[in-house]
Amino acid sequence: MVVDAPPVSAPTRQARHPLRQLLADRWAVAGGVTILVFLLVAVAAPLLSALEGHDPYTYDTNALTGDGLPIGFGGGISTEHWFGVEPQTGRDLFAIVVHGARTSFLVGFAATALSILIGVVVGVTAGYFGGWYDRIVSRFIDVLFGFPWLVFVIAIGAIAPAWLPKQLLIILVIGLFGWPGIARVIRGQTLALKQRTFVVAATALGAGPGHLLRRQYLPNLVSTIIVYSTMTIPGMIGAEAALSFLGVGVPPPTPAWGRTIGEAIAWVQTDPMFLIFPGAALFLVTLAFNLFGDGLRDALDPRTRGTRR
Amino acid sequence: MRTLRYLATRLLGMVGTLLVISVLTYAVFYLLPSDPARLSCGRPCTPDRLAEASAFMGYSKPWLQQYLDFLVGIVAGRHFGSGLAAVDCAAPCFGYSFRLNESVTQLIVDRAPVTFSIAIGAAVLWLIVGVGAGVVAAVKRGTVIDRSAMVFSTIGVSAPSYLVGLLGILLFGFTLDVVPVGGYVPLTESPVDWLWHLVLPWTVLALLSAAVYARLTRGQMLEVLSEDYIRTARAKGLRERRVIGRHALRNVLIPVATVFGLDLGTLLGGAVISEKVFSMQGLGALLIDAVGNVDLPLIVGVTLFSAFLVIFANFLVDLVYSVLDPRMSLSDAAASSGRN
Amino acid sequence: MKRLTAVALAGLLALAGCGANDPKKEEGGEAKGGKLTILSASTDINFDPAKSQNLAITTLGLVLRRLTTWDVQPGKPAVVVPDLATDTGKIGADGESWTYTLKDGLTYADGSAITTADIKYGIERSFAPELSGGLGYHKSLLTGGDKYKGPYTGGELASIETPDAKTIVFHLTTAYGDWPWIVSMPAFSPVPKAKDDPKKYNQNPVASGPYQVSSYQQGSLVKLTRNPKWDAKTDQVRTAGPDEIDFQLGQETTVAAQRLIADTGDDRNAFGAGFVPPAQLVQIQANPTAKERLVTSEPGALTYLALNTQRGPLKDVKVRQAIEYAVDKKAFQIASGGTTGGDPASTLITPGIAGRVDYNLYPADPAGDVAKAKQLLTEAGQTRLKLVLLSENDQVNLAKAQAIQQGLQRAGITVTIKPVTTDAWIEVATGDKPDFDLTVSGWQPDFPSANGNIQPLFDSTQIGGGGYNLARYSQPEVDTLIAQATAEGDPAKAQALWAQADKRILQDAPVVPLLYAKNSFLHGSNVRNFSVAAFPGYPNYLKVSLKN
Repeated sequence: MVVDAPPVSAPTRQARHPLRQLLADRWAVAGGVTILVFLLVAVAAPLLSALEGHDPYTYDTNALTGDGLPIGFGGGISTEHWFGVEPQTGRDLFAIVVHGARTSFLVGFAATALSILIGVVVGVTAGYFGGWYDRIVSRFIDVLFGFPWLVFVIAIGAIAPAWLPKQLLIILVIGLFGWPGIARVIRGQTLALKQRTFVVAATALGAGPGHLLRRQYLPNLVSTIIVYSTMTIPGMIGAEAALSFLGVGVPPPTPAWGRTIGEAIAWVQTDPMFLIFPGAALFLVTLAFNLFGDGLRDALDPRTRGTRR
Repeated sequence: MRTLRYLATRLLGMVGTLLVISVLTYAVFYLLPSDPARLSCGRPCTPDRLAEASAFMGYSKPWLQQYLDFLVGIVAGRHFGSGLAAVDCAAPCFGYSFRLNESVTQLIVDRAPVTFSIAIGAAVLWLIVGVGAGVVAAVKRGTVIDRSAMVFSTIGVSAPSYLVGLLGILLFGFTLDVVPVGGYVPLTESPVDWLWHLVLPWTVLALLSAAVYARLTRGQMLEVLSEDYIRTARAKGLRERRVIGRHALRNVLIPVATVFGLDLGTLLGGAVISEKVFSMQGLGALLIDAVGNVDLPLIVGVTLFSAFLVIFANFLVDLVYSVLDPRMSLSDAAASSGRN
Repeated sequence: MKRLTAVALAGLLALAGCGANDPKKEEGGEAKGGKLTILSASTDINFDPAKSQNLAITTLGLVLRRLTTWDVQPGKPAVVVPDLATDTGKIGADGESWTYTLKDGLTYADGSAITTADIKYGIERSFAPELSGGLGYHKSLLTGGDKYKGPYTGGELASIETPDAKTIVFHLTTAYGDWPWIVSMPAFSPVPKAKDDPKKYNQNPVASGPYQVSSYQQGSLVKLTRNPKWDAKTDQVRTAGPDEIDFQLGQETTVAAQRLIADTGDDRNAFGAGFVPPAQLVQIQANPTAKERLVTSEPGALTYLALNTQRGPLKDVKVRQAIEYAVDKKAFQIASGGTTGGDPASTLITPGIAGRVDYNLYPADPAGDVAKAKQLLTEAGQTRLKLVLLSENDQVNLAKAQAIQQGLQRAGITVTIKPVTTDAWIEVATGDKPDFDLTVSGWQPDFPSANGNIQPLFDSTQIGGGGYNLARYSQPEVDTLIAQATAEGDPAKAQALWAQADKRILQDAPVVPLLYAKNSFLHGSNVRNFSVAAFPGYPNYLKVSLKN
């Protein structure tokens, strides 16, 4: 997903403090609160599942019929199993969903951080230095865009040495294929900033590249970076889920929403709750990040400041 | 002259990029622990038979040699084995799939219509719906129309495509039984069936992408509408429709075109998940199949073709850029879109 | 070395009749006509007999006839019967040669006569490296086969003699009683040399069976139409009911199953080539009309957990025996589709094979005996085991792998699952670098004899290099037993030896028998004569017809 954040003017006057603007936007607040709630759930997952009395790994074949269907209403919802159980295994679905949040957030945040880090560094330097370095970077970006990352992930799973944890591998791969997006945007912005009066002035006054990059460029790129990060996270979470759906994501039995959703599709007619719980969780988290990101962008954009969305 | 020189440079760049991708693909799959000849070995598979199969397909040569053979084959064609069973792959030869007994070029030509049908149809739909919704939402900013359009778009952006696709099949294909549940009918065979089988994939893909474009368009439109020259146009007394259609839309379409080019290029290269979900044997399904069977020539061939489409799409976008914005020359357009 | 006698056949019959779930037999006589559709998840059908590993009763059997074929009927064990030949073969005086005579009046679809020269040519071309990939049991059994490189680079295979157009003689390297089964394999289909185009034969073979390939759209649709020259009077196993058979390829398994459950329109004349996935099995149980159209085989092929006996702590037989007790077969059964998925197993020779003796060396609850396992582990001094389980990365195999993992976890064994693609699995499990401790595998012998259950899996010659001795089991005593049983001419004595080998192997616990798999298939409401036997566990395409 590409976000074209508008270039930010030099910080002069502030019509309305961004935070206040953000808090006034109901949708963004709702999104932010949802994110916080899920984040807490992810962090406290072991606690929550201990509270319920189950972990996401133990089978409970007594909760199933001989064919593997959960006994009871809604896929086995009861005081014992708050979200019911997983068909064919009897594992507790609530525990799977809350532990799955961990996987999603971990991969989502880490991959985003990696992407943003590389993307910003490459984008700023490419825009600033220009010349042959810039050209090489652009070619490299082209290669990355053209490369079928899905095929690559499938193959790399087989090559990777056994001591490398699969989660780390996925974070690396998703992160390394995600940086071109932000690099392009940052590069474009850097090029635009280059022409700005205050930058030209600073350069004329004799400022060196280090000072320029740190003091003039970066502060003006911060809001773009923040907004882009917020918008990238749901994409990364979605990518991890898609990989899990195709069977090349986080290996079982580590809970992962994508894999659970992929399995649940086949059970929709006989146990719809198996799909609804993790599906709703994934959807809500993605939605929350998108809403929050929208609000953040509106709050930080001088042109829409002071107006309601 | 400058344009010609620029075009030549770009072309060279494209070829270079494709070369790099091909080397990377070869390297990655050559490193795989599985022997591509093993699946063609038969049962029982003795080491002798495996070695024979491997030698025939050229897999026993060092990978650099294999890669060079591949490059040479593109211009001069390739020849495998000898005698009656020898295989001749006419130039341009992008490899030969022994598993399917067909040259890679032929396989791509056979499967491309499927992927192209899905991609182009969906793209047209989402462009119209997405950009249209975005423009309307921006113009009617703050009203119910705007809010509901944005709510739907945000929901669309947040839903995973495979989930929506499979649920769509369940609902419309099985429960309501209004559309066939998958499979592709060639246009030449029956235009009506072709259309009917594509309705569901088009709708699912288009709706989800339209959401992205609606948001994008709206954001750009709002920005553009607050520019000075728009205010001038309005002050001059031009009708609102003309202001938006003639003046604003042009500038909005530039970033939209950038994204569209990339998206379409990627989709034309084979949307793996969509094709799998709708049981359509396009390029994406071909590629995944090839990966599963370690059909190296096919993997490299389809990967390069997809990459070529993406890179070419980028190039076209730059062309469109320069047309849409008369201030920009071709090289400026590329620079601005971040591709020089 | 004698082939199966009538006594042995009767024994098989008795054993097979004890199956708790007799495959259903659809009524309806020899209805003719209609278009049958077969939904398949595969993306390609290879009709080249040299490259094919097809069973005799499925796709290839509709188009190509061989010297012999299988008579598979519901409730009865599979029997080898003559197809192009007049009988299942006469053994020569030295016990190492076999003679077959062709029936009269056999022709291809174009009217030309089928001769033994064509059969010889068909077998010879299967040796060509350009056409490798098919079943190759005959390659090491025919004299000179290990050096022969196929007819394209010149040369004939001398051990196949064709004294006249109707007679063919095979000279084998050793006495081999199961040779009639071998000549039922695809490579023994006649291929006229003049019409052989190895690059295109996989799409358009010269038909000797009731159907021929009329159109071939790579990856999506293959159509078969009638072969007018096929003579039903010469063919005892094929009924050729439908006028046309369409194979729809690349169908997503879950969607295909749901189409058949919905049973609308043309899907009424269809059936699924693949197993019904577990989720849809549950769906069908709740749907009475669909339940009637579900056909489940009797328990047959063995699914087992292989323990790499040459690696680390698994070298200790006590550790392996502990795993025999720790495995949760009940959870594994559920992961395989529940009671419809299979029955818990305890022997290596599968039900339906003559001479099988039922026993259980490690008696326990289907869910396992965790206490006993822990005790054995403590005795072996291995209470903190960490093992790697190699698994294919599709949903069904991962579900099975997790069922094993959690079972062993209860006994304190930490299992890490390593999901890989199918080809990587084949390479690691059967190749020369077995980088795994445990793996789940199924074994369907290519012909129904105890030999097929034991030798490929436990003979020390089958370790590595593509062999299926996944456990890397090497026990000289067992190798001797296997050699003895293979050479034994008296069927009863041979069966006793095989049963002895079965028990002796399990004493060393190189594998844990998990299930005798039951395969379930679904067909539309207009399909008739659709049945699945214990062997080979797949529907008999040769007898399927449609309601008029």
